[in-house]
Amino acid sequence: MSLVNLAHVCSHLQNASKARLGLTSIPVSKLHVNLSLGLQREGFISSVTLGGQAPPTPYSLQKTLSPEEHEKLAETLAHSPWDAYPPPSENESSPSPLGREELVHHVKVPRNPAARRLWLGLKYWNNEPVLKNMKLLSKPTRRIWLTGDDLAKITRTRHAGYVKGMTHPGECMFLTTDRGILEARECVERRIGGMVLCRVW
Amino acid sequence: MSICRPVRCLLTTPALPKPTSTPKRSFHASTPRAARRRRPHYPSIKASDLNLIDEAAAKNYPKYDTSEAALLSKKYTPSQIAAIQAAETAIDPRDLVTQAQHRSDPWLLPYEDDLAELDPITDHAEKLSAEDLPDRKGFREATNAEYQVAVTDLMNENIAKMYPNGVPDKNAAPEETRRLEESLQAAAMQASIDPRALYHSKTPELLNSLADPRHSVILPDLPRLDSRMAKQTQRIASDEVDDPRQKRLLQYLHWNKAALRNIKVKTLVTHGVTNQTRMGKIRSMYFLTIAGNQNGLLGVGEGKSVEPEEGRKQSVNAAIRNMRPIARYENRTTYGDLEKKVGATTVQLFSRPPGFGLRTQHLIFELARAAGLQDLAARTPRSRNKMNVVKAAWEALCNQKLPDEIARARGKKLVDVRKVYYGGPVH
Repeated sequence: MSLVNLAHVCSHLQNASKARLGLTSIPVSKLHVNLSLGLQREGFISSVTLGGQAPPTPYSLQKTLSPEEHEKLAETLAHSPWDAYPPPSENESSPSPLGREELVHHVKVPRNPAARRLWLGLKYWNNEPVLKNMKLLSKPTRRIWLTGDDLAKITRTRHAGYVKGMTHPGECMFLTTDRGILEARECVERRIGGMVLCRVW
Repeated sequence: MSICRPVRCLLTTPALPKPTSTPKRSFHASTPRAARRRRPHYPSIKASDLNLIDEAAAKNYPKYDTSEAALLSKKYTPSQIAAIQAAETAIDPRDLVTQAQHRSDPWLLPYEDDLAELDPITDHAEKLSAEDLPDRKGFREATNAEYQVAVTDLMNENIAKMYPNGVPDKNAAPEETRRLEESLQAAAMQASIDPRALYHSKTPELLNSLADPRHSVILPDLPRLDSRMAKQTQRIASDEVDDPRQKRLLQYLHWNKAALRNIKVKTLVTHGVTNQTRMGKIRSMYFLTIAGNQNGLLGVGEGKSVEPEEGRKQSVNAAIRNMRPIARYENRTTYGDLEKKVGATTVQLFSRPPGFGLRTQHLIFELARAAGLQDLAARTPRSRNKMNVVKAAWEALCNQKLPDEIARARGKKLVDVRKVYYGGPVH
């Protein structure tokens, strides 16, 4: 679990949102994936996609159904809803029961893990980035572990255990715990502590 | 000491001339003004004059003679007469002669009055409230039957008042009968809206007090000044705009002059600046002024001019024109902590709990007071340049991120837990 790489991710996301990028990529690791999913759950980023060196096709460029096709599909599904989940078959070339080749857009992920990147969609609102600040709290040379009680103080804007309180409106803090990567308020709810990763606002 | 000096000189006391108290030579060409004649703080009354005062007092303020005492005893009870006499003996008539005088102060009444009676022109009409009724719950709305009976009684009463000598006969003049019909209609109208008919009570005193005109909401108040001449000559303060710049400002803001009165303005920074030209230095004054309505509006304005007063006016108008709304949490503090950097100055503002006060440096204190913030802490960790501190604090206050906006941006529901806990409104 390299905090050096996480520090790079933090500053990269700050820089990317300052540059008003719509999509950016970070190196793939289990920590980064889980943290990105946490950020997406809190609404800081719009999408988390595993992909290669080239960015995945944006949603707007993906194949979509026309309204007539949509209606037809809805009728088919109403008649036989089990068609939505076709039985797995060895024969790849067999047509889909719904009459179209693919509904779910597949992103090409390289077989080589070193060539994979995690693509994050950034969000903006009222000409302002949603994720503006992302600061590493534990440092590679000094990791900080907090208990559930400390976290309860910190979420109530008080200082505890070398960590300042969450005083900015809408601020979030992510920790790595034995239940995975969680937000500070979730940890307080479950009364568990862990190692602090970063704070986002 | 010289030896030639005789011993006698040493032993005898020196007879040097004493310095005079007043300089012999006057330093002014004109003759000195005589000292002011000292007057005593009180008029010196001589014993011989005392007699005169006694005479004047006896003449102007005579005692009651027997005939007047008899008249008083008709009007007042013996105890009241005793009180009057005690009050009169308390004041010495000689004091009245020496000290009493007509008032000349600005609050004196413009007419001679002992204020014993109410004047309908100059005094407010007396009004009664529900407290003045003898029994506040002793009446109710009349039923239809009671109303009819009361209306006929009141109508008869009104007719009797209009025709004290009796109603004219059937074979009276046609003009008389027409007038009778009109007065019948008037009496019916008056009776139908009389509170004695509209309400019913077992006690007739209560009904009579209800009918007191002093209870009426349409009891005429002071007469309006309705003269056309007076209207044309009167000048309203809001209409006078002497300063053309202020007039332009008011037009820009769509305000009138009365609205400007609520704006608190303070000049925080003043210094001289120079412009070096080939002709020489041109010195002028720089002003930085803040303006706020102490209720969530705050502006900062700058002005510069060779004339100090002109520059100050420029800055004041700019500050009022630049006023922007400041988001305040519970109308007392900021939404979370704020930070803003202008030049080398960083201003950090911290929201604080109720009752904390404004514990900040003076410039941020003035800004917070003008904006109507009550609980705030602040730090200026780097440069403390006054201009930059004011600008940075103002921009930090203006550009706050509101929880609603954050919720919309993240697509999450955010709720103020403090409000939930205390049962306040939650959107």
